[in-house]
Amino acid sequence: MATKEDGGSGFNIHPMDQFVVKPLFGGDQLHWYTITNQTLWLFLTVLAITALLVLGVRGRAMVPSRMQSVAEVTYGFIRKMVEDICGKEGLAYFPLIFTLFMFILMANVLGLVPWSFTSTSHIVVTALLAMAVFIFVTVLGFAKNGTAFLSLFWISSAPLVLRPILAIIEIISYFVRPVSHSIRLAGNMMAGHAVLKVIAGFAGALGVGAVFPIAGLVALYGLETLVAVIQAYVFTILTCVYLRDALHPHH
Amino acid sequence: MAHDPDRAKLEGLAERIEAAQAARTPAPRVDSKYEGANLAWRMVIELVVGLFIGFGIGYGLDVLLGTLPLFLLLFTLLGFAAGVKTMITSAKEAERLGKSRATPGEGD
Repeated sequence: MATKEDGGSGFNIHPMDQFVVKPLFGGDQLHWYTITNQTLWLFLTVLAITALLVLGVRGRAMVPSRMQSVAEVTYGFIRKMVEDICGKEGLAYFPLIFTLFMFILMANVLGLVPWSFTSTSHIVVTALLAMAVFIFVTVLGFAKNGTAFLSLFWISSAPLVLRPILAIIEIISYFVRPVSHSIRLAGNMMAGHAVLKVIAGFAGALGVGAVFPIAGLVALYGLETLVAVIQAYVFTILTCVYLRDALHPHH
Repeated sequence: MAHDPDRAKLEGLAERIEAAQAARTPAPRVDSKYEGANLAWRMVIELVVGLFIGFGIGYGLDVLLGTLPLFLLLFTLLGFAAGVKTMITSAKEAERLGKSRATPGEGD
């Protein structure tokens, strides 16, 4: 099937090149103020969200247009999720959670556009989001419950001797959450895109026999679309779970 | 005599509605299969991260106090326990979400 694979010269795949952060307007030095492709795609993410949520519902039609119903269904879906997990008082934090969801969803989906840059594939972005959630939830927990928030770490149902050890375990596992929160999102996005690139490289190297890699690519692309949405969903649902812990530390 | 064709029509309609609803319901099941893999990966990450955080705390304490192998061992074990604990929590969480979504037969 593969007639031209012995050429060898076409077989140079660089799956990680797509993640390189480059200055957008020339120069090769990166300062904190340099406008990079990362900046551009983060900005496009915000634009896309604005387009969907502000321009989409501008008509305010009783029978919604396509854009409006997408915006409304997303809104309703996240609102119901927050209410299911955190209860009625969690709805006060719905704007934060909806913002997070839309941002991650749009960044993931925009990353699927060919030649685009996936901002959420960088752990810097996801770690910042996870840190924001972590700090917000911790501060909120102390503000709402005072020192009673510490009862999250002090298992009163365990024997007294074990409690200090369990407290250390609980505290470590509290710190596990933001780290796994950010690694999961960035890892999923980076791995998926790297695999896509590798398979695409096979297609380039195989020449005529490239039907199989291309069929694989189509399937993988579908899977990646699913991953993009589900990872945004998972990030959001975990934020809700942490928020519930902050609102009700005793359970 | 005019009843029969109407009834037949109605029954046909009911069947068609059922068929249409049946065609829509299996959609989430594909998702939950993927969610299983997702959950597994999440648990693996939590386990490893717990281990590493424990290791980091232990090593840091050892460097500060100059008791090298002691806290390293202790906190690595505690970190492992924390990882397992987080894993179990997320498994319980997934179980509860699965129940609330009311999809029977997705026990594993």
